[in-house]
Amino acid sequence: MLTLAWRNLWRNHRRTVIMLAAITVGVWAMIFMTALMRGMVDDMLHNGIRNLPGEVQIHNRAYRDDPSINNSIPAPDKNLLKALQSDTVKAWTQRVRVPAVISSERDSRGVTLLGVEPQSEVKIGFSLDSISEGRFLSDNNDDGLVIGARLAERLETRLGKRVVIMSQDPKNNIAERGFRIIGIYKAKLASLEERYVYTGLETVQTLLKMKNRVSEIAITGEDYRNVSSWYPAIEKAAGKNMQTLPWYQIDTYLSSMLKMMDGFVLVWIIVVFLALSFGLVNTLVMAVFERVHEIGLMQALGMRPSMILYQILLESLLLLIIGLLAGNVLAIGTVIPLQDGIDISAVAEGMEMMGSSSILYPALKLNDMLLANTVVIFLGVLTSILPAWRAARFDPVEALGKE
Amino acid sequence: MQRFIAVLTVCLVSPLALATTPEPRDLIIQAMNHWRGTTSYSEITMTIHRPDWQRSMSMVCWTRGDKTTLVRITEPKKDAGNGTLTKDNNMWTFSPKINRIIKVPSSMMNQSWMGSDFSNKDISKSTDIVDQYDHTLLETRQQDGHMVYLIQSVPHEDAAIVWGKEILVIRDDYVLLEQQFWDQDGILVKTMKAREIKMMGGRTVASIVRMSKQETAEEWTEMSVQKIQFNINIDDSLFTLSNLRNPRQ
Repeated sequence: MLTLAWRNLWRNHRRTVIMLAAITVGVWAMIFMTALMRGMVDDMLHNGIRNLPGEVQIHNRAYRDDPSINNSIPAPDKNLLKALQSDTVKAWTQRVRVPAVISSERDSRGVTLLGVEPQSEVKIGFSLDSISEGRFLSDNNDDGLVIGARLAERLETRLGKRVVIMSQDPKNNIAERGFRIIGIYKAKLASLEERYVYTGLETVQTLLKMKNRVSEIAITGEDYRNVSSWYPAIEKAAGKNMQTLPWYQIDTYLSSMLKMMDGFVLVWIIVVFLALSFGLVNTLVMAVFERVHEIGLMQALGMRPSMILYQILLESLLLLIIGLLAGNVLAIGTVIPLQDGIDISAVAEGMEMMGSSSILYPALKLNDMLLANTVVIFLGVLTSILPAWRAARFDPVEALGKE
Repeated sequence: MQRFIAVLTVCLVSPLALATTPEPRDLIIQAMNHWRGTTSYSEITMTIHRPDWQRSMSMVCWTRGDKTTLVRITEPKKDAGNGTLTKDNNMWTFSPKINRIIKVPSSMMNQSWMGSDFSNKDISKSTDIVDQYDHTLLETRQQDGHMVYLIQSVPHEDAAIVWGKEILVIRDDYVLLEQQFWDQDGILVKTMKAREIKMMGGRTVASIVRMSKQETAEEWTEMSVQKIQFNINIDDSLFTLSNLRNPRQ
């Protein structure tokens, strides 16, 4: 049976090769495009979580509605510290985050002033590679300022110059002081470069007279998809007075993005396959019609209709498997050389609006490949049932008479 | 307002004190002490000039010491009643059109005051120049029969001042002739200059002062003093939010 099906396939090269090409390209498109989209979403989520930062954040209950300095929280107490030192937590940091105004001689702009603990901040959100000039903060007392490249450009200032930061302390008095710019960073998104300026945690606490209080505690674990398994422990340790939220509740846009993407991949695969299946059905139907005479002969020789059905199904299954193999190899072959990123900076502005950066890193996921392959095999066999069933029901006499 | 008032009110103390070369810091402190702690009432016209338009507004101001001022617009009618109160580095504005007092938030302190070339910060801060800078006497020269001192003031590292340095030109009778604002690259950004000096209210004051940006010479703001009185009695209730809203004077 298998041999027969195999030989049948290669009896008509051209037909089979065209069919194979269709399946291969289809499968390749499915896997490759999915990898691209996955890469985009992954990148967006990573960026998003890095900018939050952290997979879980602890705030004052009122902070999310009114991120003012008054809605701060005390530094972690014993209980919370213990929870934060557990194995599930990869890194954590505490920061002060307040709206502020930065001014140079020529311009002033609204920014978000971040008082950070440089050591742990680097582990959780800030990438040292992004420093393009100067250095990052060295300790909590560092009174240098690290600003974005775009902000420096807007303020017509640069590394080594002094700027003034102005904000409000908890009593609504203006708190201000001069800072020297010790570092310039480049973010993947230019909008972030304009928004965030960094200085030492204790420097800000002193400036704003907020003692040891902080605005937020950010925590990160191993994998952003598994947050829900460990964050309840932190929540318990933080107590009822504080609000502990995982990233998908802090940034609902990110989480709905993830959900949408998961659904989208499936829809995408099905759409590609629908286009593909018309070609498949068409070719198989034509193959059956071309071979009416031959099928009639087989029937006349004593082959049962069910065998004919199996025969044709087997043929299309073989076709599908060969096509899938070729498609998968092709897809892997195209994704791997592109693993380092595809530069799509020509459309960077549009991508930035979506929160994605201008370099696309395709991400090949085993699940997506399996899904694509299963869908193709399953639907492929399903669509070839129709021509096979028709072939099995030929009347041998009539079929033999057809020439 | 104070910086501006400072210019207006810096005046003669005692020529004897200047017999020897003075310490630059003392020079500034003495000049400022002269008007600090006293009160003043003045009527001023402010002219804002731009290449394609120009407008003037008249205002009255009361000051006490260097931390407290009240300014109220009297002309043109459209703006009459607008007021600004500053007290200890805090600033409030009142606009009769919306009948509301607004505390000027820190984010707006660098914006221009009533559309002029003075920023809110210029208006609400003044004597910072004594404590937040290091002063050096650059030059002493004779000019129009007066000794004139050129003082360079460089802000401290953590001072909330964006300038690289300021240069003050003070006459021996404590009239501030000129104040230059330099950026950190040593480029002159803006200059406040006394254009007319005369006796008013019993003192020598700079009666016309012009603030102009170096890059756009056609844009300037000029303050000209119509009338000024010193050391008058001012009731405490003048410098209150309720008086800002409902003028009793």
